[in-house]
Amino acid sequence: MKFLKFFLLMPLLLFPHAEDMYLIKGGMTFLPDGSFAKKDILVDEGVIVLVEDSIGDVGAENIIDANGKYVTPGLIVFSSLGLLELSSLPETNDTSSNTYNAGFDPSKAYNPFSQAVRLNRAKGVSSTVHVPQASGYFSGLLTYTKINEGYKQKKQGPLGLVTSFGQSYDDSRAANLLFMEDLFNYVRSNKDDNYADMTQFMLGTGNDYKFTSRDLKALLKVLNGEIPLVVEVSRATDILNILKFAESQQIDLVLWGAAEAHMVADEIAKADVPVILDPLDNIPRTFDSLNSTYENAIRLDQAGVKMAFYYAQGAGSHNAYLATQSAGNSVAMGLNYSTAMKSITSNPADIFGLVGVGSLAPGFDADLVIWDNDPLELMTNVDNLLVDGTDQDLSNRYEELTERYMKEKELPNSYRSRE
Amino acid sequence: MIKKLLLPLFTVFLLGCTDQTASIFQDEPGGSITNFEDNIHGTYASTYRPLESENIVIRNATVFDGNGNKFQNFDVHFSNGKIQAIGLRLVTDGAKEIDGTGKYVTPGIIDNHSHMGVYPAPSVRTSSDGNEATNPVTSEVWAEHSVWTQDPQYKLALAGGITTFHVLPGSANLFGGRGVTLKNVSANTVPEMKFPNAPHSLKMACGENPKRVYSSRGPSTRMGNVAGYRNAWIGAENYKEQLERDPSHRDIRNETLAGVLDGEILVHNHCYRADEMATMINIGEEFGYKVSTFHHGVEAYKIADLLADEGICAALWADWWGFKHEAYDMSIANIAIVDQARGGTGCAIVHSDDESGIQRLNQEAAKALAAGRRAGFEISEGRAMTWITKNPAKSLGILDQTGTLDMGKDADVVIWSGNPFSVYTKAEQVYIDGALAFDKTTNFMPHADFDLGVKEWEDK
Repeated sequence: MKFLKFFLLMPLLLFPHAEDMYLIKGGMTFLPDGSFAKKDILVDEGVIVLVEDSIGDVGAENIIDANGKYVTPGLIVFSSLGLLELSSLPETNDTSSNTYNAGFDPSKAYNPFSQAVRLNRAKGVSSTVHVPQASGYFSGLLTYTKINEGYKQKKQGPLGLVTSFGQSYDDSRAANLLFMEDLFNYVRSNKDDNYADMTQFMLGTGNDYKFTSRDLKALLKVLNGEIPLVVEVSRATDILNILKFAESQQIDLVLWGAAEAHMVADEIAKADVPVILDPLDNIPRTFDSLNSTYENAIRLDQAGVKMAFYYAQGAGSHNAYLATQSAGNSVAMGLNYSTAMKSITSNPADIFGLVGVGSLAPGFDADLVIWDNDPLELMTNVDNLLVDGTDQDLSNRYEELTERYMKEKELPNSYRSRE
Repeated sequence: MIKKLLLPLFTVFLLGCTDQTASIFQDEPGGSITNFEDNIHGTYASTYRPLESENIVIRNATVFDGNGNKFQNFDVHFSNGKIQAIGLRLVTDGAKEIDGTGKYVTPGIIDNHSHMGVYPAPSVRTSSDGNEATNPVTSEVWAEHSVWTQDPQYKLALAGGITTFHVLPGSANLFGGRGVTLKNVSANTVPEMKFPNAPHSLKMACGENPKRVYSSRGPSTRMGNVAGYRNAWIGAENYKEQLERDPSHRDIRNETLAGVLDGEILVHNHCYRADEMATMINIGEEFGYKVSTFHHGVEAYKIADLLADEGICAALWADWWGFKHEAYDMSIANIAIVDQARGGTGCAIVHSDDESGIQRLNQEAAKALAAGRRAGFEISEGRAMTWITKNPAKSLGILDQTGTLDMGKDADVVIWSGNPFSVYTKAEQVYIDGALAFDKTTNFMPHADFDLGVKEWEDK
């Protein structure tokens, strides 16, 4: 796919893929600079070719009138979508592992036909970062996938290695920090023997965490600077400790949750560390997060910290699309709209170096949402979702159930039609 | 390092909690309790005293009255703790004027399913007091005896316009115990927070939770659950007979159940599946009581007509689902379908069951309204406002006191910065019984003792 920079000067140019082409006309379009402007968008072979004030007839087979509507990049969420059907049933849950921890990558378990995936598509989600939840010292590797229809999804990763730091029922957090330091030093100094035997190190630490060579190789990716360490952490002093740890180990860092990040926002900004959070987290749920506040996102933004938002409230991972509600509330709290919208589209891509997604610009994958109103508003509907330039089927089990019980409600189940 | 999940956990509403710690129930000393009436109006009665009411008229606002109406350019006048009038260009005598231009006014928001106080923040084992998970039948326990008055979550809910909330025991048990309705005011004792004259409630729970918690000793099946309810009600009938012979006989487990059979205590029934709700209605028929409200009811839309016919409210989430099997068949239009059943005679309630959701019940109602319209219903904003005002008040038996802006009711009033169905709108001022309880414009909000010495950064 070529980037046809001077297309407007070449109106007679022939496009060879009319059936793959979409022309989206006149929508208020969220641009990479953070503004909305009325634009036409031309998509060919899955990629955005042009975003211009006006694009003439190029023979696109699919023309979508987006006048009076809003167009944004597809939402990038952090979730267990496609890895989990019912969280209370472990047999339907593929987010966790007892065998591996740091090296655990759940992405092969992804089920594109999960009902939760279909629902989230209908709500504007084009892709998710799988969040692993292995039960060891590390939770596993973050990976990225599109959530388009069908068996084939474009994936990227691993993006980061997840762990957590803070309050603990057994060891002091100080001991946990020492352990991580020892472990990283061990991995660094033994990388040439391919980690055939960890026994000596583990005996030395006296705990029963398991690390296979796959796990240790994942740690090495962090040490080599290939991927960041993603640390779920709440307390301000813990954040400072982790910043110092990352600096001493010379590794890249991403903070997750970070309820008290606002108290050390300048330090986080100075270290150029991004934060993934839910702006709605304002409850002092633990003694590590007594200073939780709606102000978190605002203060981090003022300090110049790059943020991505995810939805972490009660409705859970099946409703990861509610990142729009989290972002909308952050605007109500005083964050500027552009930052909020970027935090659920382009910022996740920037933070993890995702290639070609998260923005509406020529050369980017055509992952985009057409909304009937302000995308962050509660009563807005999704009219179209394109993933890799294909208009997605937005039907889902939950609208089918609704219809079934509205249309033929006097009939017993056996007599209802199944449309 | 502690293994914390990055994604939300569902412990609270899966079960309330799995804490198995037995609590020691202590009778209040010196109380002479002979019957239910004394329990709610005597020893354990509300001692709530409102702050001194202001005399205020809010001018030229958009007003949702809680009865389903939306009025433009209306005035709202309250004094002496009561709503005096709403209308166009009200004439008032000496009332403080508030310019409501561009603002919206609603009744105080009511959440009829909360665990604030019994699952306070921070969430630690030592104050996890919502489930007496030691026996499938614990109708003898009262949530009000677990409530921690210093829970820092109350004020967060207040900032979302919550003036009244109903605290329930968790759902580990078939009969979880009595719930309590509270005014959202800070106080040092629970009775000072109790909503005056609110009926007591009884938490019951269907389905997965009780049978999971008691799988080893029973009930371990849904049919075991039902046998458990029926046996308990038979026990309550026997207790009532015994009481006729010996009025001094005390049995606090059966006092609660008898209170239901006598129509004094309202049944709030955690129940997800349509078929189980129908079974619970049958049990009510067998023993002569009515369910006030089904809670959670992810499948309520499947029996919306039945609920409307029976006059049973359904307290529901806008969009929660999929955290367990009985929550799988979600319809995004659940609330709207229940509301619109039988020509719009259904009683739909948006509840939170969640210390985060309670802060934005208006937003949850907005999502439910949008889903209803998308499904093809014509539902007004005024109607949707009843889901978080009038209907929960009705469900809790306090509609004669709050829930609408009708003349003479408690002056529980919220002034919003804009349309409460917008994500950008915040509650600006909250009045409880005519007294200012929260003011965003001046950063006036109550602080729990727990907050003191913590949020020093706020002043820097």
